[in-house]
Amino acid sequence: MAEAQAGSEIDRAREIAEERALVEAAAAGSTLAFEKLYRRHVARVHGLCLRMTAQRETAEDCAQETFVQAWRNLPRFEVRSGFATWLHRIAVNAVLAQKRRRFESLGVDGSVDDVIAETLADANVSDPGARRDIEAAIASLPPGARHVLVLCRVYGYSHEETSAMLGIAVGTCKAQLHRARQLLGARLESAEEDR
Amino acid sequence: MTQTNDTGQEERLDRALRSLPPGVEPPRDLWPRIEARLERMEAEAPAQAPRRAWAWQAAAAVLLVAGTALLTATLVQRSRDASLAQSPPPAVQGVRAMPAVFGPAHAPNPEYDAARQQLSAMLQQKMAQMPPSARQKLEANLAEMQRAAAEINAALDQQPGDPLLEELLLNTYHDELAMLAVVNQLTSTSDAGTPADATRMQL
Repeated sequence: MAEAQAGSEIDRAREIAEERALVEAAAAGSTLAFEKLYRRHVARVHGLCLRMTAQRETAEDCAQETFVQAWRNLPRFEVRSGFATWLHRIAVNAVLAQKRRRFESLGVDGSVDDVIAETLADANVSDPGARRDIEAAIASLPPGARHVLVLCRVYGYSHEETSAMLGIAVGTCKAQLHRARQLLGARLESAEEDR
Repeated sequence: MTQTNDTGQEERLDRALRSLPPGVEPPRDLWPRIEARLERMEAEAPAQAPRRAWAWQAAAAVLLVAGTALLTATLVQRSRDASLAQSPPPAVQGVRAMPAVFGPAHAPNPEYDAARQQLSAMLQQKMAQMPPSARQKLEANLAEMQRAAAEINAALDQQPGDPLLEELLLNTYHDELAMLAVVNQLTSTSDAGTPADATRMQL
């Protein structure tokens, strides 16, 4: 038991040490190290962008932009803070900037919802139908509510962290989450009735 | 009753949301496009190139330290049972961690320095119980980590106050401390503190 605990402690220490070394090497100009960081983090960054934008091409653009901005800003990154969280912050900024640039809401129509839901449901192993419903319901939420729900409930950020990322007040964040959960509950109920 | 149902429903919803996989692979590899953009950026900013050249060497030293720490910890873990079963070999002569060499602007926190000295002293005792092969590896790895720190220090002499080098140096010592703590913990039969306790210390 103690042996296993020590083993997992070593694994964790190794992971942290490896990541830190990769970040430092990338900050020093190694694209090889940065590619390794990309491989480690691209799925989470893309998942976040896809859920926040609910548009596949936009999500790809945002994920790409996230890594480009990360490369640009790596020399200023505080090595001891979490690299994944830092990347997520950049990804959220990329999504918000994309939204501003296009001067349009990132809400989606039904046909795109289906594609998004299926893309996201591919990763499911236990209940593809239920997950597809949830992903589709998330994608159909209004952008503000969707952003808060994705960051708070899917990626586990606190209201303080989420509001800081989105540049909104904590109270607004809580209100948006409440709204998102109500809408989500209603849409899931209706999806269940349709089955 | 309705409130109870609502709460149950909300909890189920939260559980379902938390169970969604955070990672979703993009349908195609984005790296080639990203790499092309990075290359364009680098071509547009040639002034940064000289700095990156030495910084990469220093970062390579840190990579070496991370690899060394892992190798040592794994090695010690593997040999722990065997080493405890063996009768203790003669005490190792001259196996002592080199003193940390910080640049003038990088004096370590006294608490950190004390912890490092304490762990080093404990390690000397533990090393006597290790099989010769494991002991030699550990000695070599410790020397390698200290050499890396010395190299970064030398670079700092040429580039005093460089924030990246300062960060690299502090990380090197941080990694060394974490490695010493892990080795001590793995070779210890009593619980004398965890690596996390030591690594949590501020430099």
